[in-house]
Amino acid sequence: MTRRRVLIALLAAAGSVLVAPSLARAQTADDFFDVGTLQEVRIFINSRDYALLRARYQENTFYPADMLWRNMRVRNVGIRSRGTGSRNPTKLGLKIEFDRYTSKQKFLGLASLVLDNLWQDPGMIRDRTAMAMFARMGQIVPREAFCRLYINNVYEGVYAVVEPIDTTFIARTFNETTGYLFEYNWVNVFYGGYLGAAYKPYKAMFDAKGHSGEGDAKIYGPLIDMFKEVNHEVDAVWRERVEGYLDLNQFVTHVAIESFTAEWDGLAGYAGMNNFYLYRHANTNRHRFLPWDKDYSFLQIDSSAFLRVDENVIFRQAMTFPDLRALYLDVLEQCARSAQEENWLLREVQRMATLITNAVHQDPRKPTTNARFDEEIAWLQEFARLRPGLVLEEIARARSGDNVPATVPRGIASILWRTYDRPNPPIRR
Amino acid sequence: MQDSRPTPANAWKFVWEDHPSVRWGTFLRMDFRAMLQGDILNAPVTPRGADDESWHLTRRRIGLDATVWRHVDFHVERELETDVEPWREVWGNFRPLEALQVRGGRFKLPMGLDQHTDTEHLDFVYRSRAGAVLAPGRDRGVMLHGEVFDRRLFYEIGVFDHDGHHAHTTVPERVMADRTVAGRIRVRPLAGFGAGLADLEGAVSFTTAEVEEGQPAIGGRTALGLPFFSTNIWVNGRQRRTGVEARWRPGPFGAQAEYIRLTTERLGESVEDTDLAPYLVTAWYVSGTWLLTGESKSGLLVPRRPVHRGGVGAVEIGIRYESFAFGTTAHDETPSLSPRASVIVGNRDRLLTLGVTWAPVRWLRVQFNGVRERLDDPAQGPNPDAPTFWSRVFRLQFAL
Repeated sequence: MTRRRVLIALLAAAGSVLVAPSLARAQTADDFFDVGTLQEVRIFINSRDYALLRARYQENTFYPADMLWRNMRVRNVGIRSRGTGSRNPTKLGLKIEFDRYTSKQKFLGLASLVLDNLWQDPGMIRDRTAMAMFARMGQIVPREAFCRLYINNVYEGVYAVVEPIDTTFIARTFNETTGYLFEYNWVNVFYGGYLGAAYKPYKAMFDAKGHSGEGDAKIYGPLIDMFKEVNHEVDAVWRERVEGYLDLNQFVTHVAIESFTAEWDGLAGYAGMNNFYLYRHANTNRHRFLPWDKDYSFLQIDSSAFLRVDENVIFRQAMTFPDLRALYLDVLEQCARSAQEENWLLREVQRMATLITNAVHQDPRKPTTNARFDEEIAWLQEFARLRPGLVLEEIARARSGDNVPATVPRGIASILWRTYDRPNPPIRR
Repeated sequence: MQDSRPTPANAWKFVWEDHPSVRWGTFLRMDFRAMLQGDILNAPVTPRGADDESWHLTRRRIGLDATVWRHVDFHVERELETDVEPWREVWGNFRPLEALQVRGGRFKLPMGLDQHTDTEHLDFVYRSRAGAVLAPGRDRGVMLHGEVFDRRLFYEIGVFDHDGHHAHTTVPERVMADRTVAGRIRVRPLAGFGAGLADLEGAVSFTTAEVEEGQPAIGGRTALGLPFFSTNIWVNGRQRRTGVEARWRPGPFGAQAEYIRLTTERLGESVEDTDLAPYLVTAWYVSGTWLLTGESKSGLLVPRRPVHRGGVGAVEIGIRYESFAFGTTAHDETPSLSPRASVIVGNRDRLLTLGVTWAPVRWLRVQFNGVRERLDDPAQGPNPDAPTFWSRVFRLQFAL
């Protein structure tokens, strides 16, 4: 009997040695942002703080908490309510700062993390799908994945875990630590016009991250100069001067991807520019755009590829250059063909829907019904099927000198515009 | 008890010994007290801002000590020109026996050697951190006390509204203890062994009370009162202080030491509503003094050769080293600034005080102190770039 026990113990020990390395493998940010996995994230917060967080959801007050993912428990993180249009007391939008209370503490290299409540997207996958399109077109985007979120062991619903665009993100993507990053805050309708030499209106819109010890001239000077140069009449030196402040190719590419994904609240949004970060590379005056929050993508299947783009000063001026116009059409075409390639866009929608549907159906705090979610997914699949063809048709027309929007196939007109019974884009005056 | 009511022969009389005093035979005695005190500071940062070397009156105080019928004492002390707790002490004491006395009113809780030393008798300009912050100070209460075994043992035990004025706060989030029980036992084991040894004294003390959920009012402050530890943590539960003290004053020399430890429970304060390791504050000091002019350290500092009689007055030098530390009793994880961390990022101030006191006459004292402070975490202190800093303070004090 004793020998048998010893043998079993030895076998168990041997088994654990063989299995342990895979179980004990260090988790990485790639594991966390694995788009093929529905993560499970748990937040632990004192019940008193949680009540305050809910009651004061409109404040940005941080509360202490622990975060648990798999076997990794990050203690003493800071958590607060976040969001503008998505901020609500039912399904909290959350931001976690890992180094809020513990100096230099990070989670898988991240200093902070956004828990997007997906409140404004009844389909819940728009942002993730649009960002996948940006990434497929070679653009730099924040990593994100879906998760089931539990707060104090109570299921709070499906969230997107999103890598914030911050200095840590810039260091990871550009390997730079001294550049200038600006978060765009929508204050008023802004089409990229020149607002004068004063810093104040730009500071209201462009929230500089870091560099707190530096003066406005150093932080905002090149940004203001950029808009000043953009707004000059296009002449022989316009392109050269503007290129000194803005990567025009990247800008045009960014707008083209937003156009393909029918983004209604982006650089050429319905209320001016919105949902982007601006980054000025270290030791240069040159800026580039970074996409953020694409919840208003995929709204209209037959949205023109040129919808509202003329309202934006930068884009309007850029389109007077044949090579930039050609680039715009090329990127649109690449988006369309890439989406069609082995039904990539459709498969992407289906894959994400499959990943989260059960969790969404169990989501107790989502603003819509299960039927509404299913309907929205069906519509996004329809978008993925039809949009590439319509865009390619419009590109062909544009290249032949005809800017008339694509013809809508009969029978699908009723599902082309997806704004009924969903949170409308915020009204901005 | 004898009848001590006055007869016509020993009726009203005015006497000026240590204090101006009015007496009515042995039935009534009233000693009048007054204090005027001003400081000049020189420090990198002061509560009044940097480079403030102007003269500030820090005490304008009057008081009265009275004894009636030999068995009832009264004490009243008021700070002039202040709206913050102007009545510093108001109490009455009934002593049918030396071994059994009852005191009621507002007075110092029985803890802290340095805290219980009157301002006009302090060896240094500032009290130790243990005495000035961690000892409870004054509160309203009632206390049983007495001295037994030929003044070899003194006991004090009382109940108070709160845990002293050092924890009083007007900040809504801050909490102080509720009803507090405090006690102290002092012993003079060598009381019958002659002047050199008789003064040797030791004591232990405690306070205990409940604290409602909130953030503790007792935080870290430097000698000049500048914050070096903000107590933005949550506490809830029992608060306990324990203190140990010792003093010996042979001839012109004096030595004393004190240690106070305060813990406050954090019941249900973790992120999972479980208990956290208690909040911990400790303070201790050791100090030594030498009256260069040879006066005896025990008792009042009365110059042997005051200036108005052609002498130099009394001159004393002193040194004190102390520590004042904040943290938690746990050490099992990475310290954090989170108000709900098991192990918080604490801080510690280590102070070295060098002092000279000159008493040209009985009622006048001039003190000069240099205080060197070193913070473990200067980022939390008044001068984040300087872990070590010196403060200099000059004090002129007139006390009746």
